[in-house]
Amino acid sequence: MSLFQGIEQYQAPTAAYQLLPFRFTSLDQDQYVLTNLAGEYLIVDRRTLVELQRHQLSSTDPAYCDLRARHFLMDASSLIGPALLSLKLRTRYHRLAEFTGLHLFVVTLRCEHACPYCQVSRQSEDTLRYGMSPETASAALDLALRSPSQHIKIEFQGGEPLLNFGLIQFLVQEAEARNQRLGKNLAFVIATNLALINDDILRFCRDHSILISTSLDGPRDLHNANRPRPGGDSYERTIAGIARARQVLGSDRVSALMTTTEASLPRVRAIIDEYVTQGFTGIFLRPLSPYGFAIKTRSYRAYNAERWLDFYKQGVDYVIELNRQGMDFAEYYASIILKKMLTSEDPGYVDLMSPAGIGIGALVYNYDGSVYASDESRMLAEMGQEQFKLGHVLTHRYEEIISSPNLLDPLEESFAYSAPMCHDCAFEPYCGADPVLHYALYGDYLGRKPESEFCRRNMEMFRYLIRKMESDPFVKQLFMKWANR
Amino acid sequence: MKDLDKPTKSLATTFDSKVFTLIAIKKAAYKYIRVFSADITMQGEQINCQLTFSSPVSEEEGGRLVEDFKKEVLDQDLRERLKAETEAVRNVILAHAFSKTGLITDESLSGD
Repeated sequence: MSLFQGIEQYQAPTAAYQLLPFRFTSLDQDQYVLTNLAGEYLIVDRRTLVELQRHQLSSTDPAYCDLRARHFLMDASSLIGPALLSLKLRTRYHRLAEFTGLHLFVVTLRCEHACPYCQVSRQSEDTLRYGMSPETASAALDLALRSPSQHIKIEFQGGEPLLNFGLIQFLVQEAEARNQRLGKNLAFVIATNLALINDDILRFCRDHSILISTSLDGPRDLHNANRPRPGGDSYERTIAGIARARQVLGSDRVSALMTTTEASLPRVRAIIDEYVTQGFTGIFLRPLSPYGFAIKTRSYRAYNAERWLDFYKQGVDYVIELNRQGMDFAEYYASIILKKMLTSEDPGYVDLMSPAGIGIGALVYNYDGSVYASDESRMLAEMGQEQFKLGHVLTHRYEEIISSPNLLDPLEESFAYSAPMCHDCAFEPYCGADPVLHYALYGDYLGRKPESEFCRRNMEMFRYLIRKMESDPFVKQLFMKWANR
Repeated sequence: MKDLDKPTKSLATTFDSKVFTLIAIKKAAYKYIRVFSADITMQGEQINCQLTFSSPVSEEEGGRLVEDFKKEVLDQDLRERLKAETEAVRNVILAHAFSKTGLITDESLSGD
């Protein structure tokens, strides 16, 4: 018999507490994910959830302190809960007031590659009329620099943007000159396949702190099959280009993105190994988008959400294994979601924003002067659907573009916080609205979430990442590191 | 003995309106829209749900889906209660969070 009575002898059988707003969604048969207003999560069983709601949860219950610490309830000792939630919520949404940090300039639609799934519906290299003119570029730059965001990233896209490198030089120098009086933080990125890179281009990039973002789909055979070009040497040119670019710019100035085709699905380990071999410190495992040639050639329909999830989970499991062996290597899609789950910061990733990232997160200036709400909006327009065209750089003012009904209507209608099912979903703080994808697939900005592949894929990813963290302290620590990169 | 493999296209279930709200049942039905459509009618204090499956299911599978639907109604009912209880504090938190960001306007100042 103990000399002392337990703490419960000195406390009321049930604590007097007030519930704070939260949402819950099942994790498995008996476990639930609870998220508070700021997106912090906690796992509890059904008994705890029901007792919590009925105000029957004892203050000695093992879950009580966690529920109080993460603002699911407040009692006499935690009256500051609502104020802290407000602060965290404000931090999460601070980007809204400083909108549009990313500006994509499609300097040409021409490309010397002929990728069957290409998301930009490329035109052939010798078709000269698909390049942006200096007059159009200058007017687009005016609009970009009008954005409230203090941090302006200008990304040059194509086609293959290096086919119009003269215009890139003009835009970079103009932006730097005009920014003298604005004092914004300017950053430049060229999204290129590197096939046409040379030392003159690299020297210009070095002198103007331009980042290089390239495409690497995996080992030689897979990359070359995905990205056919005259000579069949896309892989060789990319690898040589990465090496030269790193030599001139520095390793941290060159990044790579991969596209998952059907041929990639059984080869996730080989793809990750290729990134490790090439000296990258992470990989972005991302699904094919339903736009441009991807949908025209049925590449998008070649695999569904379930097959992509298998690919993704195998990939993340392998990346975790590499880290367990002592390698520092990250998966960037997970890192974006984990930042939302484990910090009060929002990474501002356009596909996972609500209000949607269109217009607010990014604006696209097409080669012909049309302005679109996102890169995907432009691809949709290439398919004949101009639902998200906001205006033209030569004929519309900034105010007209940013308040276009083609932007405001989808933003309002797709807002997840008030969308059926999303409104009650515990994963809503981690998810996005993506009205362009839903419009492309279902013909309206919202879609029916129970039938949406976007919803199914994201819900499973959130559950998978939470299960991984909750079942393995090593993974929890690793994910914390990714979240705080 | 019942034939559990016999395919069925439609099953019915009922809820007591004194216990469950209509909104909780509608939300649960929405979540299952991929699996079945629901005809929801009121009869006195009873809420009747006729569930028509997108494709025929065995009686055993149908029974399991009805059970899952009932559990979902319970969850939705719990959500409704939580929402009602925390609405006031949620509004205070949201108002406080956005009070100095310029993202909301003071209606008392902008109103006529």
